[in-house]
Amino acid sequence: MSATLLWWGLAVLTVAGAAVVLLTREMMRMILGLGAFLLGIAGLYAWLGFGLLAVAELFVYVGGVLVLFLLAITAMGRDADARAIVRRFDLGAALISIGLAVVLVVALRGLLPAAVPVSGVTVESTADYLLGVWLPQFEIAGVVLLAGLAAALAIVQGGDDE
Amino acid sequence: MTTLVLSCAIVAAGLYGVMTRRDLVAVLASVEVMLGGASLLLAAYAAAGTAPAAGQGYALLVLAVGAAGAAVGIALLVSLVRRGRSRTDQITEVRG
Repeated sequence: MSATLLWWGLAVLTVAGAAVVLLTREMMRMILGLGAFLLGIAGLYAWLGFGLLAVAELFVYVGGVLVLFLLAITAMGRDADARAIVRRFDLGAALISIGLAVVLVVALRGLLPAAVPVSGVTVESTADYLLGVWLPQFEIAGVVLLAGLAAALAIVQGGDDE
Repeated sequence: MTTLVLSCAIVAAGLYGVMTRRDLVAVLASVEVMLGGASLLLAAYAAAGTAPAAGQGYALLVLAVGAAGAAVGIALLVSLVRRGRSRTDQITEVRG
């Protein structure tokens, strides 16, 4: 019972954060909403029994990407007027999004039984996969990260040609 | 089933943000919302499968690559804003 209540609490936090990202017009509120969303996602990972994934989400996204968003906004030096985001309701986009959600649920509902928390998923067992069977994929992910870092530096440093 | 509905709703909400937002920061945040929903669905599948540890490892790889994509996206954003373009309707041409 308490696990179900916890799941619903985390789901509400996640959806509320996503709603703030979609609906707010103020930049800093949007970043805070994104933070709440990412915290909710990390909590749902932990609820599922994936502690390592939850910690990684907290470190990488809440502690990394979110701070990167804040630094980017600060570095851009946009004034208060520019921080107000223009938004408008688009019926076509809403219908497409709802249609996508319905199609996904209908297509995947037979493949996913009721998600319940799992136990026994340790860091060691995950590391056995990552550094064993999936070592090539693990190394490729490392190369992608390095390439992403180099690309980000190249993009930010170059291109003042206009 | 509830996790499936939640994940798909989050992905759809992110897609709505990508389609309707005009500010590049908001578009990038909406992409992050979509990625979060998809990652949650992946984790739910992993929890329901026969090898949850493998699923957690796979989700970790997806998370790492997604973070790299976010870093490149923010770099692009900063580069575009330096050129005075912070909205999607101001980006009307490509070169090369």
